[in-house]
Amino acid sequence: MVNFTVDQIRGIMDKKKNIRNMSVIAHVDHGKSTLTDSLVSKAGIIASSRAGETRFTDTRKDEQERCITIKSTAISLYYELDPADMQYIKQDYDQENNAFLINLIDSPGHVDFSSEVTAALRVTDGALVVVDCVSGVCVQTETVLRQAISERIRPVLLMNKMDLALLTLQLEEEDLYQTFQRIIENVNVIVGTYAEDEGPMGDIAVDPKIGTVGFGSGLHGWAFTLKDFAKLYSSKFKMPEEKLMKRLWGDQFYHAGEKKWLKEQRDGALRGFTQYILKPIYQIFNTAMKKTKEETLALVDKLGIKLTSEDRELQDKPLLKTIMRKWLPAGDAMLQMIVIHLPSPVTAQKYRMELLYEGPHDDPCGVGIKTCDPKGEVMMYISKMVPTSDKGRFYAFGRVFSGTVQTGQKVRIMGPNYTPGKKEDLYEKSIQRTILMMGRYTEAIEDVPCGNICGLVGVDQYLVKGGTISTYKEAHNMKVMKFSVSPVVRVAVECKDPQHLPKLVEGLKRLAKSDPMVQCIIEESGEHIIAGAGELHLEICLKDLEEDHAGIPIKVSDPVVSYRETVSEESSICCLSKSPNKHNRIFMKAAPLPDGLAEAIDKGDITPRQDLKERGRYLVDNFDFDATEARKIWCFGPEGTGPNLLIDCTKAVQYLNEIKDSVVAGFQWASKEGVLCEENMRGARFNIQDVTLHADAIHRGGGQIIPTARRVLYASMLTAAPRMLEPIYLVEIMCPETVQGGIYGCLTRRRGHVFDNQQIGGTPQFAVKAYLPVNESFGFTADLRSHTGGQAFPQCVFDHWQILPGDPFTEGSKPYEVVQGIRKRKGLRDTIPPLENYMDKL
Amino acid sequence: MFYLVGLGLGDAKDITVKGLEVVKRAKRVYLEAYTSILTVGKEALEKYYGREIILADRDMVEQSSDELMADSDTEDVAFLVVGDPLGATTHTDLILRAVEKGIQYRIIHNASIMNAIGCCGLQLYNFGEAVSIVFWTDDWRPDSFYDKIAVNRERGMHTLCLLDIKMKEQSIENLMKGRKIYEPPRFMPVSLAAEQLLKIVEKKAAEEKTDKNALAADTVCVGLARVGAEDQKIVAGTLKQLTSVNLGGPLHSLVIPGHMHPLEMDMLRLFALDDSVKELLTSSQ
Repeated sequence: MVNFTVDQIRGIMDKKKNIRNMSVIAHVDHGKSTLTDSLVSKAGIIASSRAGETRFTDTRKDEQERCITIKSTAISLYYELDPADMQYIKQDYDQENNAFLINLIDSPGHVDFSSEVTAALRVTDGALVVVDCVSGVCVQTETVLRQAISERIRPVLLMNKMDLALLTLQLEEEDLYQTFQRIIENVNVIVGTYAEDEGPMGDIAVDPKIGTVGFGSGLHGWAFTLKDFAKLYSSKFKMPEEKLMKRLWGDQFYHAGEKKWLKEQRDGALRGFTQYILKPIYQIFNTAMKKTKEETLALVDKLGIKLTSEDRELQDKPLLKTIMRKWLPAGDAMLQMIVIHLPSPVTAQKYRMELLYEGPHDDPCGVGIKTCDPKGEVMMYISKMVPTSDKGRFYAFGRVFSGTVQTGQKVRIMGPNYTPGKKEDLYEKSIQRTILMMGRYTEAIEDVPCGNICGLVGVDQYLVKGGTISTYKEAHNMKVMKFSVSPVVRVAVECKDPQHLPKLVEGLKRLAKSDPMVQCIIEESGEHIIAGAGELHLEICLKDLEEDHAGIPIKVSDPVVSYRETVSEESSICCLSKSPNKHNRIFMKAAPLPDGLAEAIDKGDITPRQDLKERGRYLVDNFDFDATEARKIWCFGPEGTGPNLLIDCTKAVQYLNEIKDSVVAGFQWASKEGVLCEENMRGARFNIQDVTLHADAIHRGGGQIIPTARRVLYASMLTAAPRMLEPIYLVEIMCPETVQGGIYGCLTRRRGHVFDNQQIGGTPQFAVKAYLPVNESFGFTADLRSHTGGQAFPQCVFDHWQILPGDPFTEGSKPYEVVQGIRKRKGLRDTIPPLENYMDKL
Repeated sequence: MFYLVGLGLGDAKDITVKGLEVVKRAKRVYLEAYTSILTVGKEALEKYYGREIILADRDMVEQSSDELMADSDTEDVAFLVVGDPLGATTHTDLILRAVEKGIQYRIIHNASIMNAIGCCGLQLYNFGEAVSIVFWTDDWRPDSFYDKIAVNRERGMHTLCLLDIKMKEQSIENLMKGRKIYEPPRFMPVSLAAEQLLKIVEKKAAEEKTDKNALAADTVCVGLARVGAEDQKIVAGTLKQLTSVNLGGPLHSLVIPGHMHPLEMDMLRLFALDDSVKELLTSSQ
């Protein structure tokens, strides 16, 4: 820490209008961490000269070796904005104070670690979206951008790797402009698709003309926005910066002879962007790389770039790098963009509160969040756990949304299962210490006011992955995070030495804490299961488990994927099951949910907590639901939120409400463990057709109804042509045309198929998009490499569930084998139970 | 022959002579042990009958009737039920299954709480539909029995409330996991039943759904414990008073009187908790 002390930071923390919480998000290998280093170098934590070489935020050894980010890392930066630029801030700001505190989170780009991105987005208000200008918008760019927008996080764009475009691809100026233009359009299409119309954030599309798009090279440490050049030329054109910026992008051409800006290209008129921005940059590149050193130095002097005498000794690329870095320092350009265009907590919490807080919006917590009141009740969201040097202990990392958290303060620690008024998942403890998290370092701090990001010591043992911290007795939870990927790949682990079992169990507990997504489950059979988003994710988890969390040698089974059970038709008959005492009868039918409804439930467009009427209308309008049935949805399942519905279609059954809870419990149970092989159900609706009940409450308690509900659910599933669903990856492969044959071969062998194949504008690279069953994806990357001479790079991201063709009852069919395999693994009887087990005769 | 034998309410000696003869000669003797209990345990019965007795729990009676009735087409099997075999408890299903299997059956009756309740002085002719009051949980609070009580009262009839017994119940979690782990037995005392009723009364009052016949905190009710046993207890008191009485061990029952004949009132005064109750019983005459 060179430039500032903790006390100074604590000072700025109170100036909530001068805080920016932001994450850096991008597709893998688009250069987030390298860019972040430019920012860090600007804030003075590592020396400027080493930016671009050391990845400050990659704190783990494996991260540095693999050159990918695995865990998101937070750092605080300090930036003083030029007072003259303060006027560009469009939100509420403090005219007197130009010192800004930026809490930045660098997140992983690999899809397998998307959960880290989700956790990062939750605690920030703005996002710097980095796009490699050579490969353009990729699948993960879209995923993270979509997530950011749905969390109401304002984006700014940075076009990275310009050096690559200039040096390697040798793109012409106009071509490069067109490439930029296309990428910006692509980004805005995504923004337009997922942004709320007339949402409280206003227009969030990115636009170079207003300065929300930057261009540059993270590796070389330079970047600019149109504002930088407008400043440069403002006196030349005798035009204010803001006006000039509009001339430097889009179809704006300057006719030097007529001294006029034109709207269309004519002889003698040149595009503002290419002429006044790209041209000088190209000139420097060409001179430095191709011409003599004298010429280069002369040009440098002409541009007024000041080099030290040491710098003047450099040659070729290093010289070019130094020149560009001195001329257009990346840190300045980006920090300016962040400070001017990303919202402060005050601005952001006003519109984020309703998305974040589950309780009444006008209770002290809701108001505290909305107004970002440091004197209000404490509301802090813990988004992830960060391992400490003390083995087995974690910092609880999160954002203070309201009030001020203090060392020693007594708080309520509420896990995701806490419901107000109950004791479950609730602890009242003191915070041992509050700390600042700075990349590899932590600093103790006395207290942290709202609007800031910090870590807590001493609450880790009460939370599994995340939760809410509050001082208000009647506080509700803050909404749990919705991940874009699901843990579809699982392995079983055991320790090589049986004596180590306790260590393994303890290690699994720690692993579950340290990763926002991974699931560690103990099966009925005693097997320890780890479920993750993909092969790489699992690999990292297993390595952490073996080396850190458990510290013992472990044996790992072959990976298997999770399947889902569904139905493909309406039940052929109305199924009946009787309670054990035979006095209660439930009649039910199953049917598939309409296309897209399961996905809408996943996405949260339709939720169990929605207003009944609103949800009913949505279902009627979009999914052709019957209006009365749409209002009589009893519950979602499994876990009360899953993509299956239990619907009351009965007419005038007395005291039906008294058995509702029992039927719902049976439904949660059955939808969690389907009839085929006890996998989760998906995309099925169950209609309760009729119910006959014993006259007396004592004969229709849970013991009678719950198993009966389960049996009738199973019966209706068995009569509705049950099918298996398997998870499908969307694979995006970047490759040159020559190796495409190998790619198609690889995919076909693995039941995959290509649905899109496009040349990336202006490059010899192709982007191939395909669907690939997750089950067939193990070893796919290696296979692909060997068939393409290492020239193809796949990115797999979970996309959707798809019916495995065939009847699971027909011997020899694919689903039959899958069901058998799962039943065997789970230690179930090897045939699917017959209908007679579940259905009773009238 | 498959015999359903009623054991009566009190102890081992309450069995009828006919029933005892069946028990002595039957090949197997089962004791249904989940819908009700006697004041004495299985051992006392075995000693008195001089027979080994097999306990039949809910799972066995409801799900393995084959085992229960095995050989009963040629031999005699006795199935002992506390009270009357077809009284408050419902073993009709067993009979249906026996007939389905072509097994002959015979019922040997005995006293049941349904008739023994006459001991409190309210006339059996004037009882309406009987109800059960079940244990409430955090999120399961059925109150349909209240509606039935209200209907009975409207027609001037008394209501016999049977109070929940949980002999061998699994928690929902254990039920789902298929684990045969059972909760300890629980019996609802009169005080808890009165308390739950009072809560419903308060709820209905808040919803303004009360009428003149409805139950109120000062309605005189009758609490009974161990009817038919040596130490049986009967008290008459207001619903409010009953929330704090302790009538000792199980089983308990509660009666909500409807319109009372003067003779019925005279009887209830015998069991009144205090003078104020006696007064209440007189004043409404």
